[in-house]
Amino acid sequence: MAEWLALARGPLFRLSFAVMVLGLGRHLVVTVWGLVRAYRLSDDKNVSWRRAARQTFDWLVPVRHLRQRWFYSLMSVIFHICVIVVPVFLLAHIRLLEKSIGIEWWALPMMAADVLTLTTVAALLVLISGRVGSGAARGISRLQDYLIPALIMVPFLSGFLAAHPTLNPFPYNPTLLVHILGADLCILMVPFTKLTHMVLLPLSQLPSELAWRFPPDYPERVARQIGTEGRAI
Amino acid sequence: MAAEPVLKTDEKIQEPQIRESSDPVSKRRYSYYLEPYDETDRPRKFLDVMAAMLRHGTYGHWLELYSKISTKCSRCAEVCPIYDTTGDPHDVPCYRTELILKIYRRYFTVSGMLRARLGHAWELTDRHIDEMAESIYHCTACRRCTIECPLGIDHALMTHLMRHILTEIGVVPKALVVAVREQLEGATHNTSAIPVAAMADTSEFLEEELTEQLEYDKIKVPIDVEGAEYVFFPAVSDFLLEADTLMGNAAVFHATGCSWTIGTGNFDGINYGLFVNDRYLRRIIQQLVAEVHRLGGTKIMIGECGHASRSAKDFVPVFGGPDPPEVVNCMEWTHRMLTEGRLQLNPDIITDVVTYHDPCNIARRGWIVDRPREILRSFCRNFVEMAPRGRHNYCCGGGGGTVSIDEMREYRTGIGGKKKADQIRATGARYVVAPCANCKKQLREIVEDHELENVDVVGLHDLILRAIEIPGAKPAADRAAAAKTATDWKGAVENG
Repeated sequence: MAEWLALARGPLFRLSFAVMVLGLGRHLVVTVWGLVRAYRLSDDKNVSWRRAARQTFDWLVPVRHLRQRWFYSLMSVIFHICVIVVPVFLLAHIRLLEKSIGIEWWALPMMAADVLTLTTVAALLVLISGRVGSGAARGISRLQDYLIPALIMVPFLSGFLAAHPTLNPFPYNPTLLVHILGADLCILMVPFTKLTHMVLLPLSQLPSELAWRFPPDYPERVARQIGTEGRAI
Repeated sequence: MAAEPVLKTDEKIQEPQIRESSDPVSKRRYSYYLEPYDETDRPRKFLDVMAAMLRHGTYGHWLELYSKISTKCSRCAEVCPIYDTTGDPHDVPCYRTELILKIYRRYFTVSGMLRARLGHAWELTDRHIDEMAESIYHCTACRRCTIECPLGIDHALMTHLMRHILTEIGVVPKALVVAVREQLEGATHNTSAIPVAAMADTSEFLEEELTEQLEYDKIKVPIDVEGAEYVFFPAVSDFLLEADTLMGNAAVFHATGCSWTIGTGNFDGINYGLFVNDRYLRRIIQQLVAEVHRLGGTKIMIGECGHASRSAKDFVPVFGGPDPPEVVNCMEWTHRMLTEGRLQLNPDIITDVVTYHDPCNIARRGWIVDRPREILRSFCRNFVEMAPRGRHNYCCGGGGGTVSIDEMREYRTGIGGKKKADQIRATGARYVVAPCANCKKQLREIVEDHELENVDVVGLHDLILRAIEIPGAKPAADRAAAAKTATDWKGAVENG
């Protein structure tokens, strides 16, 4: 078991993390390149950067958008905060990091970590049931839309149980292994699923500013390629 | 909160629902008529056009981004007036966008192509194209979902792309393509096929009518005045249907000393290219700009028309060549003149309840929202707002060109216009001000089909015409009294 734990915590974690960083890096580069290219190809340089910035900020801190379906929206915001704060500021994780690379930072008090962990799980349950319960959401959902929240729940639940042996009906080491492997899998999946929005969100309001500024002669070039140029309408 | 859906549908998405026509003569396949076209091999043609679009345009970047980040949160469903009314999962904006993302992922990404090599690949079929063709004209392109998407997915852009591709393979509502054909290749160069002589006659008639109403003969509708600062492009249908709007425009321009003209080379602001195809959009924009250059004008003034304003404002800088002329909407001018004190409006003329409908194309991105309200508040005693309003308004239900597709009227007013009908009813307004030719047509049909009583749909400048005070002309109060006598007489005659 110890070897398994070491494998999950060491090489597998490092591999997943590297895949995530490289994958997200690639997505960022590709997206920025697309935005820059669209800007350069257009004749219309009068882009409202302010409006784009405001829209972006509005959605990064979506307090103004909580009215619509308020409970679901609020739980979604709470989930997003917790899913970043809990793993990054958990004392056990910081200790681990300090031991391996010698960096450490402020940690959440144990009690707060417990509350936030359970909140995350509760919020995930709300998000999943919101998806199942709404006809519109069900109609557009893919498999990953159900699996990803379920997968994210694994490390949170197992982490909580591992931290509270008295509440844990399972033995400690297997619980910890499930925790670490679950987290590795989550991290690994990031660049291949909708989780990419964690880095692309700040850029995602820009396309609707830039996209309508078409390259000036592109419609004619399309027509030339498909052989409809000069043809009567 | 979502209203109770009018149409109940199966909970699961199964077969695409192409609404069958009950019209035995036409046997139409979609909600709208098509012109005959070569129907063979549509999927291959679709992919050919799409490949060319991705190669020469910038759509590929957005498809790539959107297919990565779409979280399918269904927030767009919450704000879509169509989905809210039908409750049909096919009408969820994100579902519609997925129709094109699916094709992109399958045919234009490495993973899609690899998956196809390994078997089990989804293939683009005629059925998928049918579903798309129907779906994209259920959408009124109001862009409410776009500003409400947390991930910034521009569903309207995706609809725009699908419409463009389908137009290139022949799937485009006949009503829209016929209008574009007349505008670009016809003898009259405008969507209503009004010959120059008829336009000149109408302008003369407008002048005479103004002279009669105001007992003042100095208001002109200038034609082909070289070097005028503003070249005026109303929705050309205004010459046929909205005399009061045009007279209001002319009166304001006269009272404020605006240097303006209508050009005989091109006098139509309508741009249905915006709704079907960027190639048409570009050529129509180039026609506008060419007319301004021909007349030696410096600016484009668009009349009361939402999509004409947006297409000029957004696409003159894109397709208008070097040093494109500035684009102004007539309401911006009127507002500026009012705030500068150069326009006098009598506040005692319009006493009925007035409400304002925001045309999506000028309000959604926050371009013209407060100015018409400030104008109305300045002279209408009983101005009331609809809720929601401004950037978050509901579409009239005739957006995206659907208003010109007469065979879709039942859908347009029954489903697309239901929210608007409820909103208008809630205000109790006598006048619904809609500064847009398309919104006006649609709202009048809504008033008729939803049996809204004692509601008049008017332009902003229609009301301004009634209240404007021009030194030397008959005062607005006297004009109102005369109009009332005329109406009373008419009523007395009708009632025997």
